[in-house]
Amino acid sequence: MRRLRLSTISFLNTRPITYGIERGLVGKDRFDLTFDLPARCAAAVMSGEADLGLMPIASYGASTTELRIVPGVAIASRGPVRTVMLMGEVPREEMDSVVLDGASRTSQLLIQLLLRDRGLAPAFEQADHDRVVERIAGRRGGLLIGDLCFSAGRRFPHVYDLGAEWTERIGLPFVYAAWIGRPGVLLPGDIALLQESLSLGLRNRPEIARLWAERSGEDKALGEGYLTENIHYELGARELCGAAAFLERAHGAGFLSSKPVLRLFPSEIRPAAKSESPHNPRESSLDSLLSDAATGQRLSFDEGVRLYESASLYDLGLAADARRLALHPHGVVTYIIDRNVNYTNACTTACQFCNFYRPPGDDRITTLTRDELAHKLQETVDLGGIQVLLQGGVNPELGLDYFEDLFRWIKANFPIAIHGLSPEEVRYLAEREKLTIAKVLERLIAAGLDSVPGGGAEILDDEIRRRISPRKCSVATWLDVMCQAHRLGLRTTATMVFGFGEKAHHVVGHLHKLRALQDETAGFTAFICWSFQAEGTKLLLRDDTTATRYLRTLALARLYLDNFPNVQVSWVTMGPAVGQIGLRFGGNDFGSAMIEENVVAQAGAVFKLSAADIEGYVRAAGFTPRRRNMRYEWL
Amino acid sequence: MTFAAIASKVRKGALLSHADGLALYQHPNLLEVGALANEVRERLHGDRTYFNRNLHINPTNVCVASCKLCSFSRRRADAEGAFVLGVDEVVDKLRARLAAGDRVTEVHVVGGLHDGLPFDYFTSLLVALKAAAPGIRLKAFSAVEIFFFHHLYGMSVEDVLRRLQAAGLDSLPGGGAEVFSSRVRKAICPNKCGAEEWLEVHSIAHRLGLKSNCTMLFGTVESLAERVDHLLLLRAQQDESGGFLAFIPLPFHPENNALGDRPAPTAAESLRTIAVARLLLHNVPHIKAYWVSLGLATAQTALWFGADDFDGTVSEEKIYHQAGSLSPQALASGEIARLVRAAGRVPVERDTLYGHVPTAEGEAV
Repeated sequence: MRRLRLSTISFLNTRPITYGIERGLVGKDRFDLTFDLPARCAAAVMSGEADLGLMPIASYGASTTELRIVPGVAIASRGPVRTVMLMGEVPREEMDSVVLDGASRTSQLLIQLLLRDRGLAPAFEQADHDRVVERIAGRRGGLLIGDLCFSAGRRFPHVYDLGAEWTERIGLPFVYAAWIGRPGVLLPGDIALLQESLSLGLRNRPEIARLWAERSGEDKALGEGYLTENIHYELGARELCGAAAFLERAHGAGFLSSKPVLRLFPSEIRPAAKSESPHNPRESSLDSLLSDAATGQRLSFDEGVRLYESASLYDLGLAADARRLALHPHGVVTYIIDRNVNYTNACTTACQFCNFYRPPGDDRITTLTRDELAHKLQETVDLGGIQVLLQGGVNPELGLDYFEDLFRWIKANFPIAIHGLSPEEVRYLAEREKLTIAKVLERLIAAGLDSVPGGGAEILDDEIRRRISPRKCSVATWLDVMCQAHRLGLRTTATMVFGFGEKAHHVVGHLHKLRALQDETAGFTAFICWSFQAEGTKLLLRDDTTATRYLRTLALARLYLDNFPNVQVSWVTMGPAVGQIGLRFGGNDFGSAMIEENVVAQAGAVFKLSAADIEGYVRAAGFTPRRRNMRYEWL
Repeated sequence: MTFAAIASKVRKGALLSHADGLALYQHPNLLEVGALANEVRERLHGDRTYFNRNLHINPTNVCVASCKLCSFSRRRADAEGAFVLGVDEVVDKLRARLAAGDRVTEVHVVGGLHDGLPFDYFTSLLVALKAAAPGIRLKAFSAVEIFFFHHLYGMSVEDVLRRLQAAGLDSLPGGGAEVFSSRVRKAICPNKCGAEEWLEVHSIAHRLGLKSNCTMLFGTVESLAERVDHLLLLRAQQDESGGFLAFIPLPFHPENNALGDRPAPTAAESLRTIAVARLLLHNVPHIKAYWVSLGLATAQTALWFGADDFDGTVSEEKIYHQAGSLSPQALASGEIARLVRAAGRVPVERDTLYGHVPTAEGEAV
């Protein structure tokens, strides 16, 4: 077996990542490790001297070579980072020039973006990594990265932490570096080894800090605090959103020539049932289960079922609220302004619970004309909308070329993101055009598709789907479309509609499937659930769809989906009162100030809220409202 | 006072202070306040959640008070939409419900302050209702109406109450309390009786053996401190006369009235007020989640925030619906029981005095 050449950086913050490999505890026969400066590390990957590098994220964005990112491992911050700092003898407003540390392209781009946002435009000069400090003088500031910041930070009166500044502005983590390489270089098992090396490192942070302190003469507690409080090593959906936001801004500001898409190495598909720890025969108490879940420990399937069936509304709510607070400590509740446009009501799937569709051949079929669409989209833009949620019907009259034309036309005429075509619609296009799902998605992306809505999931259980929506895609297909979309760099949402007479194990099974896929792809940005709106549909169910069941389900989802960054409340279906209360049951997002919603409205949901209404509800619940885009980046 | 200290006072059964009440209103985590109120609720009532079969009748909407908070009233008897129901019309409403097989146990009667009706109208109404359904309980006339009768007919409050009681009155509803602060009353209901009169009416009623409810209309112009003042006045009154059965917090509804430009209190504020009331009013046995005013979803959720009563089947409610309430006009008793069970509580059908009424929908206590 050929050995994999890894190029890494020699900073304190990289040591946990390489810990297991450096000590030969992990991948001894598989990896060769060399230490470089960040920019060198990228060059080694580009030139083929290394297979995988702990590369700055900006180098990934600037690369013309096709690259992939290893899931799960990154150097990131969720606030102050302490080792990417602007320093000077004068405040930044008074700096005429800033010396940039040549070692890291990411920090260089970050400071230029952040200063520009503040309306500051100093001249920039380059210097070698260890020559920056000595050049800081008078009105010349300097950007320092790495361990140097600890000692240098004490020497200057004006010090700015760029990690803190990014997260305060955008609300998302900042990703500095990740394992990056060319597609195809990894063998099955490599990703698990890289993740294992990090896990060992995280457990041994005290030792890493001690060795560093001995070598550098710095304080061990300082190093340990830094590795624990400041640097975060997870690369999940929130981090990917943060990285995408950064690269998109860098592109928008002209620093990157193309708009980069974040693509991950596909990780091995682990069968969901086996990824769980074996069931503990000595059942833990409900209380300890709840407190484990509240602190972010993963729930097993059985534990999920137990909580859903036995925990009280309060206990679930308090645990979910604690989890929400840990994930979103800033007390911000986000929302988006977008418009839900149902481009056609023709639909072949004939779901029992739907009140909106008309079967092909029906004389009440309407497909929106370009004029009608133009009117709706212009109105959306005029009202501050930044996105259109485009969903059908599955209309056999409309082929892939229809959507390609439509998306290109939208992008050419309106400054608006396209969140469009749920998995069933994508699947249908693949079948109709005799193309793979990946090919359909690639063509839609090329035409302007930005993200995929998670609709049509209902309950991800084939038995229930056969009963309520027999012609809609299977569980496997729904998950496959999402998986393919994530692999192509799209972010998507995931939904669940309950109240079809399903049992606790169906609900938890649904969450379990989503969580397993999210482990693989980290492509879901948010989970949204609501109860079935029965009025006027063909399903005559009397399942529990009341507010308290919704709140219990929402709270369980927040606890079970430990790898989902966001949970949306659904005021459109549940009403604003329940939506607002949901913010204390795990929800951190109020959804959309929707300009239009047809499908649920036909089944009796009548709530309409403006952005001001939403902000009022959010404030009255004790949170700060912020507008966001689809990636949950603050605007 | 920290939240933990307040919680420990609650658990020890110590009296909460005005500062405690304010701190509970201002505590950042609604769920923690709710959980504490829920402890008290479960200590008093376990999972039991009371409801009754009732009929709301508003005999007239003619009202001389012209309160800014009201969307229901008409100033003059000849104004458009003004009505006065005849005694027979009122009784027919009850008869229709009974004939449909609905075993109504209580009639709730409140109306406008009509200065052109004889006192006999009201006593005849009670007599006729009792005659139509002898076992039925009559919960009628808020303190504001009683006090108005005292003025209009030149009788003492006690005489008014005695004569109504003799005609069949069983208890007083809790309406018209709004917020006791005179500043607030001047702003929203200047022509209604003041706090002292309201409390005096209830005090006399309790002395005469009548039970009553009490309310607070929140979300107009009052401060949090004024809400706490209001609750503590009720608590003091209850210590003295002891006849309050239930406290009912009423969020203000802004449509079709003169205060319409302000937003209605949201669900979070309603749940908070229910929880704070449960904690401050240790001596009032029941806290009611009045679904007509809260909406079904919030009322159901309130059963975990201190409320133990879902009110009743209602039917014919007009006052809140004129102000934009989107809740249904009536709920079947089975529907109430289903909502209560879905919340994980046990529905118990009650009569006006919280005696247990054994029925299929409610469960044994």
